[in-house]
Amino acid sequence: MFMVGDGDLVIPGQLIGENVSCLDNCFMENNRVYSMVFGMVRINGRVVRVIPSLGVYTPKRDDLVIGVIINVMEGSWIVDINSPYLCRMRGEEVTKDVMNKNLSKYYDVGDRISAKISFVNEVNSCEITGPWKLIDGVIINVNPKRIPRVVGKRRSMLEILKKKTNCNIVVGQNGRIWVRSDNFDNVKLAINAIKRIEREAQSSGLTDRIEKMLENARRS
Amino acid sequence: MVKQDMKLIVDGKRLDGRRFDELREIKMSVGVLNRTNGSAYVEWGKNKILAGVHGPRELHPKYLRDPTKAVLTCTYNMAPFSVDERKKPGPDRRSVEISKVISEALGHVAVLEKYPNTGIDVFVEVLQADAGTRCASIVAASLAMANSGMPMRDMISACAAGKIDGEIVLDLMKEEDNFGECDLPVAISPRRKEIVLLQMDGKLTREEFKKAYRLAIDGAMRVYDMQKKTLIESMKIEE
Repeated sequence: MFMVGDGDLVIPGQLIGENVSCLDNCFMENNRVYSMVFGMVRINGRVVRVIPSLGVYTPKRDDLVIGVIINVMEGSWIVDINSPYLCRMRGEEVTKDVMNKNLSKYYDVGDRISAKISFVNEVNSCEITGPWKLIDGVIINVNPKRIPRVVGKRRSMLEILKKKTNCNIVVGQNGRIWVRSDNFDNVKLAINAIKRIEREAQSSGLTDRIEKMLENARRS
Repeated sequence: MVKQDMKLIVDGKRLDGRRFDELREIKMSVGVLNRTNGSAYVEWGKNKILAGVHGPRELHPKYLRDPTKAVLTCTYNMAPFSVDERKKPGPDRRSVEISKVISEALGHVAVLEKYPNTGIDVFVEVLQADAGTRCASIVAASLAMANSGMPMRDMISACAAGKIDGEIVLDLMKEEDNFGECDLPVAISPRRKEIVLLQMDGKLTREEFKKAYRLAIDGAMRVYDMQKKTLIESMKIEE
């Protein structure tokens, strides 16, 4: 039996239901399920999960992230991925002769890359693979917990953003979004739309509203 | 506590006109600071408290890291202009004590195991003080933690009760705190009604203690309802 409805907001420790199953961000105590974060309840049959409205990024395997090189080491790079945990990228990603080559020739401090997380251990230390240097463009930060809304169901929101603004957009699961276009007005429009998505992430009918906003902006 | 000749109850009412079981006016808001992960501002009577949460973030120096959980640190600070006579800036015995009790109260409910090797810093700044700042600080810190998205098993709410002119009353203000007979701040985790802070300054009989404790719990539950309303409404404003 559920005490709250699908889409309701809950706070930490709030009772969600009795004799139901729980998945993410909730916990069970004496057959009762309570929320562990401040967020929105999602109910699917007898299974409940809570989508947090805010929070930091915790690395997960196979996530695409946008990182900034913060240190070049002997044989590897240290990458900031907008998380409490720093990330390591092996030199073997770019050259076989790691020890004899200066790695800063490939990626130097301050360079921005998109890459996939290849390994995460039990204390969340991680490694990334498949770097792709991001040249030009603008990187904006949004709350990592609102990234699923920027991407949308089956990437619907992202496709609308790309189509209506003519921008190249790479969305990192860590809350960083890279936007690039030859026309800077398009970049500004995309950034405004993304910021609006972040602000209104908890509301329904957002895809339609964003589509309308972008169409109006292009017309004017 | 120093007893002085000051009538704190006149015609069955307290100096500010409140009933014995009445809270001061409380205003709360969250997400007030842009540079923090979570923040809250609480006005509790004449108390004005600002709390901010940084983290989970990399913890330095490295030897302080715990590979099994995050390290939670709270810093309580009173601004020099928060009290009538200028307070000397910097930590003192009292602020170190309150920082410790707030850290322990929050550590009781926060799911620190989710973020091993990291540090979470909670900063509580008292901008204006008028008795009961430790309860208001715990409430603000708890709101800021929830606002930061930190996993918690429960919120923390708090309220003080005390004895003035031989009567047990709820939520003491400055004059009542200074000239009353006893002050009993209580913080609880409302879901299981577990005590996470209980201090007593003054003397109470066993019966008086029970009455004051019940009154403080009742007050804390009312504060919890306000916390819940504040958090839920903060999200509705964004829509």
